[in-house]
Amino acid sequence: MAAEHTATIASHGDVATPGRGSGISRGMLAMIIFIGSEAMLFASFFAAYFMVRYNIADNDWPPVKDIATGERFEPPVVLTGVNTLFLVFSSFTVWFAEHRLKHGDRKGLERGLLVTMFLGLTFLVVQINEYVHLGFTPQDKAFGAAFYTLTGFHGLHVFVGLCLLLICYLRVKRAHDFTPQWSTPLNAASLYWHFVDVVWVFLYVVVYLI
Amino acid sequence: MTAASPGIALRRAWAERPGIASALTTVDHKRIGRRYLATAMAFFAVGGVEALLIRVQLARPEERLLRPEAYDQIFTMHGLTMIFLFVTPLLSGFGNFVIPLMLGARDMAFPRVNALSYWVYLAAGLFMYTGLLIGRAPDAGWFSYAPLSGPDFTPGVNTDFYGLGLIFLGISTTAGAINIIVTTLKLRAPGMSIDRIPLFVWAWLATALAIVFAIPALTTAALMLELERLYGFHFFDTAAGGDPVLWQHLFWIFGHPDVYIIFLPAVGIVSTVIPVFSGRPMVVHNWVVMSTLLTGLLGFGVWVHHMFAVGLPQLSITFFAAASLIIAVPSGIQVFAWIATMLTGRPRLATPMLYAVGFIVVFVVGGITGVMFAAIPFDQQVTDSYFVVAHFHYVLFGGAVFPILAGLHHWWPKITGRLTHERAGAVSFWLVFAGFNVTFFPMHISGLLGMPRRVYTYPRGMGWDALNLISTLGAVVLAAGLLVVLATLVWSLRAGPEAGPDPWGADTLEWAAQSPPEPYNFTRIPVVRSANPLWDPPLPHVDDPLAGGHRTPETSLGEGDPQRILRMPEESWLPLCMALSLAVVFTGLITTTTVVIVLGGLLVGLVVAGWARPGAQEAPA
Repeated sequence: MAAEHTATIASHGDVATPGRGSGISRGMLAMIIFIGSEAMLFASFFAAYFMVRYNIADNDWPPVKDIATGERFEPPVVLTGVNTLFLVFSSFTVWFAEHRLKHGDRKGLERGLLVTMFLGLTFLVVQINEYVHLGFTPQDKAFGAAFYTLTGFHGLHVFVGLCLLLICYLRVKRAHDFTPQWSTPLNAASLYWHFVDVVWVFLYVVVYLI
Repeated sequence: MTAASPGIALRRAWAERPGIASALTTVDHKRIGRRYLATAMAFFAVGGVEALLIRVQLARPEERLLRPEAYDQIFTMHGLTMIFLFVTPLLSGFGNFVIPLMLGARDMAFPRVNALSYWVYLAAGLFMYTGLLIGRAPDAGWFSYAPLSGPDFTPGVNTDFYGLGLIFLGISTTAGAINIIVTTLKLRAPGMSIDRIPLFVWAWLATALAIVFAIPALTTAALMLELERLYGFHFFDTAAGGDPVLWQHLFWIFGHPDVYIIFLPAVGIVSTVIPVFSGRPMVVHNWVVMSTLLTGLLGFGVWVHHMFAVGLPQLSITFFAAASLIIAVPSGIQVFAWIATMLTGRPRLATPMLYAVGFIVVFVVGGITGVMFAAIPFDQQVTDSYFVVAHFHYVLFGGAVFPILAGLHHWWPKITGRLTHERAGAVSFWLVFAGFNVTFFPMHISGLLGMPRRVYTYPRGMGWDALNLISTLGAVVLAAGLLVVLATLVWSLRAGPEAGPDPWGADTLEWAAQSPPEPYNFTRIPVVRSANPLWDPPLPHVDDPLAGGHRTPETSLGEGDPQRILRMPEESWLPLCMALSLAVVFTGLITTTTVVIVLGGLLVGLVVAGWARPGAQEAPA
């Protein structure tokens, strides 16, 4: 049975044969496992944040005060909420880019990637702006440490995701890479981007809303 | 078509140029595997010397050979070396060398990432040992509890070599694990459905999954520790609202699965060796697979049993005590499966089998003391005593080094093409077995008599003198046994008889290849029809579907049906350059020199750009 299958591949050159079972590629499988590992990384940072929260009484939360005004720190719920929408929307645009490639629309793929990168970059700029105006530092108690590592580590992931998308974009633009049949690096980068978005939604709810 | 012509085409496609450049750019899983084995052995020797220093220091009371500061560094480095730089990399060496051969593949799924894993491991190991060379090695123990490891109580660069070194090494371990998982799931020979995967590969699959989910907890903990030490963050400092118990939780969420990360591939070796030398398939093969996976999974639910003495709520420690009892069940299943396989087969006591049987004996002892710790009152009595030291050496030395020695003798003919001396193998086994038990059994008693671990010396008249002297004498015998192993292997390289493809009459596919295997492993890709393919002749082959190219077949996840032909990457400088760039980043971090960190980051970016160029190797041909 198996020998016949291989013989089929051999006679058809390198065209994939529809065998039984999952046809998932090496690259996507590796990315899925890697994302599992990344999820544990964020789980650990969330655990640290929860432990800090647990050790502090409700009426003392958040336990930092603005250095300049001396008032208790209030997370910028609205501005960051809008920023969250940017990031969530970018998940749809990257899906759109992949979708256009499936229809052989390379221009649409390029545009989708560009819009996604623009939204991701906007998110990063707004976050950096938030850091500048927060009024407390990472060295400010355990809250400062937990807040900045959680958001900062996520920011780093947005940056890495942007790099992956940029690589895909350059490969499309310069090398006319990816076809409707084969686009593993693009799909992997897109999956990573979705993951980064989903983490942020959790992060926003946990750190900013509750 | 004759058998010779595809061989010639394959040799042309797969051959790597001789010389230094090839040594630095190779992506051949066998060369990388051999390198892992050799490097890990070198670290084993260094860690062994550290162990002997510890034993000499403790041989008699009030010894002043080592200053307390030096002793702290030595025992910390001993633990770090053995756990992080010896056992797991050595088992990765077996994994790298053997897994593609066992699966009937021509390389790992990501050969360049494989090379990267090795170079990062080497760089991280040298990074951690730089501390020892400049006399500033980590000195807060291998689990470096906060707040002891924090900036207040352990100032200086020592512990930074620990924190940063572990983050650095984690990159290697994680990349290696992902590579092994994808290789196992996608690169199996046609016909090797999921129920025909060899037990050693199953064990590594469970291990790699555990690595992927456990290492992040260690990386995060180490990152927090370093942010606290280098940049003044507060995670574990109670005065600033932090919590030192956070370190313990994160460390042991990694640390307990790590016990199984060390133990499972070792057990996989035993499950490979015992059927071969009993001349029959494993009894209850599928139960052994299930036990292996279950152990890897349950390993994530028992970490708090390392923290029974912390003062956590009664309810939670009771839960973890129960989980720690349950985890003995899958291990018990495997022990009975091994014994049943030997009883119902015709066992041959060749050297690998001797070490495998020796493993069962010492592992049962270590397993039983492990279950004793699940009894909370007993645990609280013996915690941080030599009883714990005795226990984990029975499970780590007994549970990992005995199987490693079994695997080394088992696969040595495959790796080198030469047999080892059987009589010398038996001598080495009995020396190691006797030396091991004489060293570590008395530690149970000295622990019960109250001797705490990690003391650099102890006063006369505590009743520990004789026991410690016996342990030290045992360590000398153990070292002698390991030297005999080394002599056996060196002799085999120089004068050992030719092994031929299958000297043991084994069942798995690596024995269908030449000894040592050709760069392309198999002239014709085998087709698998059972879990013991070499015991069900004839072994059918695919008739050169790869056209003698630098290619390997990709198969489906569950059924092992052929799906695609993959082009494999050529030799590459990228892995080495990436490891060096990362080394620059970590050098910048440990000296807190922002310029160097940024420079290293730019170099990493440059290598990533090179790596990400559209390559022929990933798209279907």
